[in-house]
Amino acid sequence: MLNLGLDVVTTAAILFIVSTGLLLVFGVMKIINFSHGAFLTTGGYASVIVTQAGLSWWWGIPCALAIGFVLGMAVERFIVRPLYARPLDAILATWGLGIIVGQIITLVFGRGVQMVESPVTGALALPGAQYSAYRLILVGVALVIALALGWLLNGTRLGLQTRAVIMNEALARGLGISSTRVRFITFCTGAALASVAGCLITPLASVDPNMGVPWIVGAFMLVLVAGSSLVNLAIASTVLGGAQVLVSTFINPVLGGLTIAVLAALLLRIRPEGFARG
Amino acid sequence: MADPVSTMTLRSGAGPAWRMPVAVGVAALAVIAVCSIALPTFLVNNLIRAFLYAALALTVDLLWGYTGILTFGQSAFFGIGAYAAGLVFTHAGFSLPLAAGALAAGLAAAWLVSRAIGWLAFYHGASPLYASVVTLVLPIVLVQGIYSGGEFTGSSSGLSGFDSFDVPLEAWFFIAGAFLTVVAVIAWLFVRSDAGRLLVAIRENESRCEYLGIDVSRYKARLMDVCALVAAAAGYLFACVQMVVAPEYAGFVFGTELVIWVALGGRGSLLGPIVGALLIDVGSAYLSGNLPYIWMLLVGVAFVVVIVAMPRGLAPLAVNALRRAVPRRRRIAPLAVEFVAAPARERDAAQTPRPALSLRDVQKHFGSLKVLDGISFDAHAGELLSLIGPNGAGKSTLMRCIADGAQRSGGTVEIGGADIRKLAPYDCVALGIGRKFQTATVFESLSVAEALRIARYRIAPPAKWKRDTTLELPQPALDVLRLTGLDKIPERECRYLSHGQKQALELAMVLALEPRTILLDEPTAGLTKQERTQIGAIFVALATRYRMCLLLVEHDLDFVREISSRIVVLHQGRIVMDGGVDEVVNSALVRAVYAGESHTGAASAEGSA
Repeated sequence: MLNLGLDVVTTAAILFIVSTGLLLVFGVMKIINFSHGAFLTTGGYASVIVTQAGLSWWWGIPCALAIGFVLGMAVERFIVRPLYARPLDAILATWGLGIIVGQIITLVFGRGVQMVESPVTGALALPGAQYSAYRLILVGVALVIALALGWLLNGTRLGLQTRAVIMNEALARGLGISSTRVRFITFCTGAALASVAGCLITPLASVDPNMGVPWIVGAFMLVLVAGSSLVNLAIASTVLGGAQVLVSTFINPVLGGLTIAVLAALLLRIRPEGFARG
Repeated sequence: MADPVSTMTLRSGAGPAWRMPVAVGVAALAVIAVCSIALPTFLVNNLIRAFLYAALALTVDLLWGYTGILTFGQSAFFGIGAYAAGLVFTHAGFSLPLAAGALAAGLAAAWLVSRAIGWLAFYHGASPLYASVVTLVLPIVLVQGIYSGGEFTGSSSGLSGFDSFDVPLEAWFFIAGAFLTVVAVIAWLFVRSDAGRLLVAIRENESRCEYLGIDVSRYKARLMDVCALVAAAAGYLFACVQMVVAPEYAGFVFGTELVIWVALGGRGSLLGPIVGALLIDVGSAYLSGNLPYIWMLLVGVAFVVVIVAMPRGLAPLAVNALRRAVPRRRRIAPLAVEFVAAPARERDAAQTPRPALSLRDVQKHFGSLKVLDGISFDAHAGELLSLIGPNGAGKSTLMRCIADGAQRSGGTVEIGGADIRKLAPYDCVALGIGRKFQTATVFESLSVAEALRIARYRIAPPAKWKRDTTLELPQPALDVLRLTGLDKIPERECRYLSHGQKQALELAMVLALEPRTILLDEPTAGLTKQERTQIGAIFVALATRYRMCLLLVEHDLDFVREISSRIVVLHQGRIVMDGGVDEVVNSALVRAVYAGESHTGAASAEGSA
């Protein structure tokens, strides 16, 4: 029972970590960044590079952050910026970018699965249960990311401008806010977050050139349901992630893998605004 | 324009619209027949598959390129057709009746799934992104279903080694080629026909289509059904030829590849996606052996570059280059369309004493904010009722509440005596209401005549396989066209019209619906003084001569005074005055409201009124 509860909490935390970058970009720019999966993959390979160089796995996090941010800068400038007015085309172009990144990684690292040693092994002995220590750490990481983003958005000048752009871009521009700059920084941050997420999930999932693809669909659905609020994303991750765990445990794992996508699609049909303005 | 002789010659030139596509189709079949013998086996083998993929790409093009529904799910329908064949041949064996049964089962399954997807993805008010989401979920669910089918579906390795039709490779080549040709010719006939222009109209302005009385969601769902059937048939043929089916053919990665081929070839053209699919698939067959990852990398780079820099794909580039290289001696003139008067329809409602429009206690609130509060009034045929009031008084909101049943929060609206309940805009149109938007909304890449034909869609469904040279329009619409000179330029694309012409065209489109009540939201905004006078005269004629009921939102008090028969003043969501022109215009209240005096002043004036 405790195990099941922890499964729900940790699954929600992982989903939250993987989806925040996408949510940030969707909230501010109103486009779905399908290269999110590619950034996840890049982050995963960042930890491969770091561990192969003999450094501690933890160095992968700053490394992934930097790679994601720099890559995000180039992508925003040359691919996303020309497509603001064509959101459906932006989905396609960023998906195409995912193909490019996947192929480049394949050319460099080969198509095989890379193994990354887990930084924290073993289980934590809890009253009545043994639970993977690393998964529990991720809950803390999710909280840190949520608090950091919350502070960025609510406690800084840039965050204020970002919220203004989210609410009414035309008005924000009229007030002298450079929405181009806000978008640029948002996209880079989103890319960096995705990259870090990719790095963080390496102890749980295999690292291969297409590792981002299975995650992107789930993250995409969660973001559509959550709209543009971090709180809603946390709720959506918990509710849908929880449903996924329950279905996987009690019915069957294949159906569990579909839970998020199917539930989100049905939820959006009944309530197009998702969890927003609940 | 009305010259009967020139019309005759035009008609004989443009009449057999099917001749050109059919001729091209026959020529294509001949080429395919020759190629089936002449080409090397390896290429023949690859082209069979590429032909079927190209047919599949055509369905993606119809949905996305023409209609604007970005779909990742056509692969799922392809997979359904393929698995129908694979499952039947594996488990029941192969015989001709079984093969026919498998085809029927595949088509039926695809149709059922498409109906479910249509119900999910297309409803009034659905966002285009949501439709894409649903088409993305479909192949994911399907593939997981195949994975969990165990022995029955062959799980991740698929099904292979089943028997199929005993037909030589050359014959399959011809069959697949003929399948593609037939699909392409039918698609060609349809998209060039009058009915096919609706696809483009939906892509350009879905909301305008709904307010022209067209149930867009239904239309999209039907289109998806047809595309699903074609995709399933292609999948069935694929399984019969290759004698192997695998989950990848139903997956969403394949679905995105289809979109890539269409984008590269040129969305919104038919030849582009065919060429794109053939070149990329055959190219990858040759190159992916030697340069497996580089080839995919190149395709990916080309895709991104095309999406960002050349949204129309490579087809227009090729066509333009060809035009420059081979100057045409005889250009096909755009189809001239003659506007003729439609026979006047029975106007039974004109005799009934019921008001054309009747509002009782209409409410609209956003949370605790009341935008409309207790709006009640009647408007009768022949009345030109102006709705005035300061910005934010709720005028435009009231218009929305009358034309879309889902908008208001409370109260009843009756159009010609019929309660609109929660009806969608297209059903309100059927009750006899027409709405002209504040900003002129026309279909940018359609011609004047095509736009008007879309407006007639509900009353006179256009030809599905040909283009008519005449268009019947009701007299009021014709009057507007004549007065503004639009009848002289039926082939002009809407994007090249002036602002005033666009406003006039939209008005003519609304009148083409033969409404009994028209809602006009600031129809004179941005017009010159002369155009304003002209359009004012039209409004008066509509009310007096054609006995329509006009509801006009307007800021220009002088204009309102000149043309109205009655004025309703709205202030802070309530009706504060309702009366004759002089009474209202000269009242202290209207002066107070319009001079922008303090809120309390207006409120006390309201009390005294």
